[in-house]
Amino acid sequence: MQRPLSTLPLSSAVKAKLVTAGFHFISDLMNLKAPQLSREAGVSQQEAMAVLAELEQGVPPPSMSALQLLQKEAELQSIITFCSSLDGALGGGVPLGKTTEIYGVPGIGKTQLCLQLAVDVQVPQCFGGVGGEVIFMDTEGTFVLQRFAELAAAAVTHCSLLAEDEEQRVAMETFTVDTILSNTYVVRCHDYVELLAELRLLPSILAARPKVRLLVMDGMAAPFRPLLDDLSARTRHLGGVALQLAAVATGHDVAVVVTNQMTTRLLGGGRSRLVPALGELWGHALNIRLHLHWEGSQRLATIAKSPAHANVTVQYQISSDGFRDVDQSHAAGAK
Amino acid sequence: MVVLRENMCPGLDGDLVSGLRAVGVKTVEDLVSSNIEDLARRCSVSYKALLAIRRVLLAQHTAFPVSGADLYEELLSSTAILSTGNTSLDKLLDSGLYTGEVTELCGGPASGKSQVCFSVAVNISWRLKQSVVYVDTSGGMTAARLLQMLQVETDNTEEQMEALQRITVFRLFDVYALLHCLYELRGASLQQAAVGGGSVKAVIVDSVSAVLSPLLGGKQSEGMSLMIQVAFALKTMAKDFNIAVLVTNHVTRGRDGEVQPGLGVSWSHIPRTRILLERHEHTSTCSATLIKSSRQPCNIREQLDLNT
Repeated sequence: MQRPLSTLPLSSAVKAKLVTAGFHFISDLMNLKAPQLSREAGVSQQEAMAVLAELEQGVPPPSMSALQLLQKEAELQSIITFCSSLDGALGGGVPLGKTTEIYGVPGIGKTQLCLQLAVDVQVPQCFGGVGGEVIFMDTEGTFVLQRFAELAAAAVTHCSLLAEDEEQRVAMETFTVDTILSNTYVVRCHDYVELLAELRLLPSILAARPKVRLLVMDGMAAPFRPLLDDLSARTRHLGGVALQLAAVATGHDVAVVVTNQMTTRLLGGGRSRLVPALGELWGHALNIRLHLHWEGSQRLATIAKSPAHANVTVQYQISSDGFRDVDQSHAAGAK
Repeated sequence: MVVLRENMCPGLDGDLVSGLRAVGVKTVEDLVSSNIEDLARRCSVSYKALLAIRRVLLAQHTAFPVSGADLYEELLSSTAILSTGNTSLDKLLDSGLYTGEVTELCGGPASGKSQVCFSVAVNISWRLKQSVVYVDTSGGMTAARLLQMLQVETDNTEEQMEALQRITVFRLFDVYALLHCLYELRGASLQQAAVGGGSVKAVIVDSVSAVLSPLLGGKQSEGMSLMIQVAFALKTMAKDFNIAVLVTNHVTRGRDGEVQPGLGVSWSHIPRTRILLERHEHTSTCSATLIKSSRQPCNIREQLDLNT
């Protein structure tokens, strides 16, 4: 079976010219030189060269066996959340190489968890951390520096109390609030055009900064709000964004964390329910979905979707130090 | 359709090709549909030679009729039914995935599509000892989960590793990469994979809608064409290599809130069998409904447990 030319990533104008000139399959172009192709198909020399160059990229797409993938997964760590019950439910924390969505009502702690992860990803490896850097894409101005510095200071104090051997003491010298701040790259995106452009640049940014292990995108829904009157365009853009994020996560072994807000879906008969925003299709986009919600005065986190974890609900709290386990005695008292 | 080239058939040499081109006959289609007598006079070549060339070209480029009896023989000898390892799912599929066909699972987010794909991959590779190609377009493929499923089946570590070895994973995040992969698979990899114990019997694309849906809608017409190309590549691959193809698709909501498979009407003709998965809230079970089938009455419903 021959591969049709229309399956190549070429502009539709060039494809149309090639087809009119009688070239339908890749095999029709074999052994042709650029000048000859340009003459016969009526395309420019550059276009002809681009077509032939596309053909030569005949490298088979990268593949691996599930066994190799298993080994790779074992090497890739997770970013701890400093909330041991959530880490337990996620099998060690927010996994590298996967995309994770956090959604919930305002004030539930989505941004707090993002800030916490941005600090935690920098915990040195000898403390069981990842020792990476972070890119924080902020769409709503939620990156509050004072709060971030507070969380960083708490994490530094926490680790310095844990430091036992020489290696950990040496690591502590470079694990300070200052280094945490300088290893955090904040990108402020005001609208979806800036966001899409930034995503296009990401692969080259990540190639230049190989230590980045976490990409946070806080507030996925806000930049796409101007598109509310053209929902199909929004869905298309988001579909592309999802593919780019997945490619970044798997290609660079980065954990991608996206936050999303809630919206109301009318069920008819005057009933309604809260669902994550951005539509049904977006729900497929990311690998893991974490739902943060209230129950009475308790904050709960539920794994709503994951390829590898059961749907577990755990309790957490947001203290002045950041995203933490609920104090056991306090939890018992609440019950 | 096909451009005339030297040595395509006996008697078609370089001079003749350039001679024909000079009078505007460039493709096989042009040659076959033109008046040979007139053409012979204009190119000053022998009528007989041209007629012979035309006969050979026609033979090379036409489809041959096959008798139904022969087809049936071939069907019986080449079709395999791959059990999915799940009795309820097998019941809906009329005992399993049929080779040569495209089967689709559709459902909302977290409805269990990927989990079903994982368990099908594990079952084919472990129980049936056949190779599986798994195309992952969302990065959700987790080998640790496959291992977990295998551990339920067997304690033998070596068998677990062998089973994982037989699953080839491609992680592709755009439609051109997917097309490239499918055509590469047709070309060489399917035979190569056969060397490593067990031929490739199943190709799973999870999910096909993730790469296709960003292309559809709006004013762009190219997306539709690419979707049809993907569909065509999957269907012919299933048929030509006797492979069971399993794809996953999202769902959309109609005006009255009813659930329907995504990717529109054109795609709905591609899968031979469609199953809709719906997760029961706060449980690990989902209900599977047969919504398209050529063998069974539609709307049969079964319950699946996703934990095992």
